Amino acid sequence: MNLAKLEPIAMQKENVESLSNTASLSSALLERKNQAPGRPDYIKVSNFSFNYVPAVRVLHNITMDIPEKQVTAFIGPSGCGKTTLLRNFNRMNDLIDGVSQEGKIYVNDQDIYDRDLEVISLRKRIGMVFQKSNPFPKSIYENVVYSLRVSGQKNKEVLDEVAEKSLRSAALWDETKDRLQDSALGLSGGQMQRLCIARAIANRPEILLMDEPCSALDPIATAKIEELISELKQSFTVVIVTHNMQQATRVSDRAAYFYLGKLIEMDDTTQLFSNPSQKETEDYISGRFG
Amino acid sequence: MNQSKVEHTLASFEEALRESRNSVLRMASVAQQNLEHAITGLLNRNAELCNEAIADDDEVNSFEKSIDGEGLKILMRFSPVATDLRHVLAAMKIANNLERISDEAGSIARRARKIGKQPEVAETRMIEPLYEMASALLRDGIRAFAESDVDLGLALHEQDRKLDAAYRKTVKELTKAMERDTGNLKVYLHLIFVARCLERVGDHAVNIGEESVFVGSATDIRHIGPEALSEMASDYGD
Repeated sequence: MNLAKLEPIAMQKENVESLSNTASLSSALLERKNQAPGRPDYIKVSNFSFNYVPAVRVLHNITMDIPEKQVTAFIGPSGCGKTTLLRNFNRMNDLIDGVSQEGKIYVNDQDIYDRDLEVISLRKRIGMVFQKSNPFPKSIYENVVYSLRVSGQKNKEVLDEVAEKSLRSAALWDETKDRLQDSALGLSGGQMQRLCIARAIANRPEILLMDEPCSALDPIATAKIEELISELKQSFTVVIVTHNMQQATRVSDRAAYFYLGKLIEMDDTTQLFSNPSQKETEDYISGRFG
Repeated sequence: MNQSKVEHTLASFEEALRESRNSVLRMASVAQQNLEHAITGLLNRNAELCNEAIADDDEVNSFEKSIDGEGLKILMRFSPVATDLRHVLAAMKIANNLERISDEAGSIARRARKIGKQPEVAETRMIEPLYEMASALLRDGIRAFAESDVDLGLALHEQDRKLDAAYRKTVKELTKAMERDTGNLKVYLHLIFVARCLERVGDHAVNIGEESVFVGSATDIRHIGPEALSEMASDYGD
């Protein structure tokens, strides 16, 4: 029987099987679900484990594929390792003493822990936006073009063009075009966060990592950022960590649920939030965590 | 499908879902009782029971509105997902089907009152087996919802096919009786409509079963055809 014909919530054969066999999915099946169908994988995580100090393992044997130019959401309770994994994608965790990792992470088929890889060049390819907006105490304009200036760009025309393009992409141009030389610290919380997004994409990275980008924003500012994320995925591969389930359902194409440093389930967002294959996922997303 | 036995962290959410489920079960019980009163009123020529079935339809109508209101409130306040979301959607649709079942009971009761004023015909007893089948379907549909029993929900189509066949046979017999006993044409015509009402009750019970399968398995089995349905039933049975 072709169960894929069933709608609106298409049921995969494996979900049907899971009904009669309540045992958790086999590891092979789970691995298959962690791969996005139909899109080239941009970030590939293979048996990746991570320790903060030698005795504390915070990520256990994570294997997942993150598709290109889609939004992938990481969800899970505090301390489950989602931010740690996100920070590994641009090797920000290298800055912490005593950390170690096993396994591989590939960005566009390149091993990011390869000894020959220059970390700075990796970070240029991966922009990051944090929970709390962190504009530099400079003008709006200087915030956006900062990374270009650091990399030696002095051409005013190029800088102007990048500033406008980035601010437009971050849906902030109309609000700031007449006060580009004003201090960035005078912007509202939502505007500051969009400025940080503009700064992150000014260098045209391949990937945009977002760590709870809306947690400090009001609903309108949040809606603007979410709208922006949907537009940004046309150009960038976006990975977002969020505690807001509704946000994950609204903005992401795929979602991954983490618990105690393990990847419990990864699937298309609609499938994960309508019919998760793992009981732990259902308990968490429906607010029954316990 | 991974329905959880664990309670929500938010007690008010748990309570709202429990209340929605209980309202559906209470509504089902009233609809079932209305149907029983209407049929007993028909078979025993008891106008009082018929009047009760008609009057109690108001209670079922109120239930439908209150279940829809509760569902809307749950969607607004708690943004449910997965099984919880399917439960809320199903509860609202099941309430609609129960309201229609109670309407059918009202129609039967109205016709039963008219039949009761006419001379008694033996063919009235032909309605009893149809009622037994329709009532069993309704009971199983509600049980499938109450116990999240996907297998039972899937089995209702087959039961309904038997009811449909019995309905067709009954109509044929009643038509023959009309040709034979032309003096009681009105009574036979009323009985044909009563049979039709019970056949519709079966259809609504099947709808309730389909919603129960949706809650329990996240699969929409509406309009998928008997072949796909039986394959699915055997998949689940394995």
